[in-house]
Amino acid sequence: MRLIARYAKECDDYFEVITLFDREKSVDKLDKKSPSMESLTAQYPSAIWFERKIADDFGISFFNSFDTRPLVHQEYFPLKIYPMRKEFRKKELTFSKYRPYQYEAIEGDGVFQVAVGPIHAGIIEPGHFHFSQEGEKMLHQEVRHFYKYRGIEKMVEEISLKEARPIIEKISGNETIAYQIAFIDICFQSIQKEYPSKLKYYHYFLLELERLIHHFTDLGFIPNDAGFSTALAYCSTISENLRRLMKHLTNHRFGFGAITTTVVTINNDYVKEMLLKVEKDIEWFEDWIMDIPSLWDRFDTTGILTKEDAKSYGTVGVMARASGLEIDCRIKNKIYQESGFKSLSQKSGDVGARFLQRIEEVKSSLTMMHAFLKKIEKYEEKIEDETSIDGDYHTFIESSIGELFMSIDIKENKIERFFVRDASHVNWQVLHTMMLRDIIADFPLINKSCDLSYAGNDL
Amino acid sequence: MIKFWKRRASQKVLTEKVEQNRELNALRRELKENIHKKFAGSLAIRMVDSGSCNACEAECNALSNPYYDLDRLGIYFVASPRHADVMLVSGVVTFNMYHHLLDCYEQMAEPKWVIALGDCPLMESSSFKESFAIKGIKSTNLKIDYLIKGCPPSPDEIIKGLLEFLEKI
Repeated sequence: MRLIARYAKECDDYFEVITLFDREKSVDKLDKKSPSMESLTAQYPSAIWFERKIADDFGISFFNSFDTRPLVHQEYFPLKIYPMRKEFRKKELTFSKYRPYQYEAIEGDGVFQVAVGPIHAGIIEPGHFHFSQEGEKMLHQEVRHFYKYRGIEKMVEEISLKEARPIIEKISGNETIAYQIAFIDICFQSIQKEYPSKLKYYHYFLLELERLIHHFTDLGFIPNDAGFSTALAYCSTISENLRRLMKHLTNHRFGFGAITTTVVTINNDYVKEMLLKVEKDIEWFEDWIMDIPSLWDRFDTTGILTKEDAKSYGTVGVMARASGLEIDCRIKNKIYQESGFKSLSQKSGDVGARFLQRIEEVKSSLTMMHAFLKKIEKYEEKIEDETSIDGDYHTFIESSIGELFMSIDIKENKIERFFVRDASHVNWQVLHTMMLRDIIADFPLINKSCDLSYAGNDL
Repeated sequence: MIKFWKRRASQKVLTEKVEQNRELNALRRELKENIHKKFAGSLAIRMVDSGSCNACEAECNALSNPYYDLDRLGIYFVASPRHADVMLVSGVVTFNMYHHLLDCYEQMAEPKWVIALGDCPLMESSSFKESFAIKGIKSTNLKIDYLIKGCPPSPDEIIKGLLEFLEKI
């Protein structure tokens, strides 16, 4: 089974820990006085971040866990504060005394540590990578995140869906369309209405456009990290064109606020012309980039994610598919199936495979966008004033990084518990297994080939 | 390689025609003149994300695409605060980034300036509400020399903002 998420919530007399797999879901009730339970980490290694986060958020401890260090609560965070408990209502915290964090490090003769971040050398989000090095060879790497921890799960509690909307759409800018679609899906579920397929065509069109922008950015940045900056110049031009298309359609370059219950008519001819142009661009790009041996010398066999590791860590999205695991939320989606969706995957799991996977996905998205475009028509519905029915609603959506899981528990028209698991949250955890055959100079290339979100992971 | 150049030649101009965006061109000229006068032709920016959604970073990256090509005007995003004239701060300044942001500022040599990017840092029109995990840039007591508004500010708006900053100092 694949572990999707493990998260907790507080009920009146007990804590609930929900463990969600692809085939089943289990709910454990824990006593409030000394909440503790068995760790899943022996069987599911990626459970560790979920469990460490639950421990920080709720003060629930896990026995038989190989790692009990704090995750979200960093050096200056006050001790014994559990922000996700209902009794915690503070809007401000003061810094406590500095407590050093014990990094996972290998020690020995000639072994040294390289610490990178949280502020990186380029225009990148903050995060820390800690390497144990034997010369150039990477012996181990610890990924440490949550510098961008904004307390979003708590922020949206006890407010209405309408009030939470602008916060949720800005969790991760690169995936905003995916977050908005997940959110509107839950809004429809909560008023017990079906998400109209007339809306879906338009929303999925924007979701694929977002995927194109993200993939083209990566198709430029991956070669750039291997010293081939011409590809970045080329692909960033295409992603700029597509951002302008997004602006043309939604009046915002990223599509903030774009997913509503209204579809206005769009200029099909103009959009179609743009898509045809991008089709030519990707064809030309592929033909060109496949023919550069020095680039493929860097891509091939670098940063291999084996199928076994991908499986045991519950990896999703582009990374999983490049390692031969066909995990994609779009597979079971009827509208995608009707619009020519093909499940794509690679075998080798290296940087090259992730690069090729993106090229193939761009082509596949373009085919589907043509199909969606034919079906987009004017539509209007108002759901804002309708009352939500109490309950626990969840949804899955395939963002440009991978499977996004969102769950909202609604009570008396207010959010009781909001939980979201970005694809990055599980994928970051498998990153360290991909370094062992490579030298430290390959790290930026490997990291970029995965292009995971920090903001979506840190919340 | 011959195949590449043959096909490349058939594609002609990939971005927009030079004369198309008059306003942007005028901005560029002014920006370059200002940087030449006030920073001897080179303005070095250290970008620090203190807890954004990554949209501001994406727009800063877009500044180096062939449409905007900021490097040509003498503006560089540098890898170390020691090389920087300006610290460009995006994001809400989270509890966890607070000390790292101040460390970065302290490492910059005088004279130095701080520009806040986007609606997040000042939290005035930001979607994010008060939170125990957010400190906000006001709590750092850093002097903000200029604010580039927007959520996120588009590349054009960032260029305009930088020009206004240069005219102000």
